[in-house]
Amino acid sequence: MHAPPDPLDHLFERWRDAPPLLPGPLAPEVWRRIALGEPVVRPSLLARIEAVFARPSFAVAFVTACMLLGLFIAEMRLSRLQAERNAQLALSYLHLIDPLLDGSAHRGVTAAPRS
Amino acid sequence: MKHLLLVVLAGVAAGLLANFAWFGAHRPARGDNLDAQLAWMQESLQLSPAQFARIKALHEKSGPRLLALAAQVGRMREEFAAFERERQMVGQIDFLEFARFVEQRRNVDRECAESTRRLILAASAVMNPQQRERYLALLDPAFKAAGPDTLN
Repeated sequence: MHAPPDPLDHLFERWRDAPPLLPGPLAPEVWRRIALGEPVVRPSLLARIEAVFARPSFAVAFVTACMLLGLFIAEMRLSRLQAERNAQLALSYLHLIDPLLDGSAHRGVTAAPRS
Repeated sequence: MKHLLLVVLAGVAAGLLANFAWFGAHRPARGDNLDAQLAWMQESLQLSPAQFARIKALHEKSGPRLLALAAQVGRMREEFAAFERERQMVGQIDFLEFARFVEQRRNVDRECAESTRRLILAASAVMNPQQRERYLALLDPAFKAAGPDTLN
């Protein structure tokens, strides 16, 4: 007659196949596994932006960047304005030194050959 | 939220202030007279004070003559337009009068070209080779309008 199987036998079998203990301290690994099990709460985009702007260093950098952008745009406007002004002055100078410049289209009719 | 808005507003205000202040401080002066043209030449060609003074004197000397010629050219353009109107309305023009006009216009054109040529040559003589090259490049449109042999 065989005795009925002891339920502990099965547990002993499982214990024998259990993985060896992890090397090193146990606490970090435990906390890591707990963290993995917990649902991750991600802050919204606005909240993250607010958090970034709340840092004084970032606020100063942002204001400085805005100032530099303003200066850059002003310089671009000036450059374009200067180019237009130069073209206008060049044209007015040409008209000053060459009275015929305006009427160059009519010269074919009446102009003498130039020496 | 309030802090975020405050920082963004401060940034926009700083940017606008920097933009308008810089633009206002460096905005090129208006004006289209001889002084402005000569100042432009001085800056473009990097003329020395002595060169600038000499070129200014040359332009001031020939300026009135060139202005008078420009006025004469303007009058002759109007005369030519009157001939053209007459030709279209009546169908014919006084050819003797027109021939006199053509001759007069040729003389004015010759005088204009000569005055321009003299001024350009005199101004070029004051400049060094690099300045002269740049000056002639600036005058390129006038040369093209005046013909290829203007300075020859």
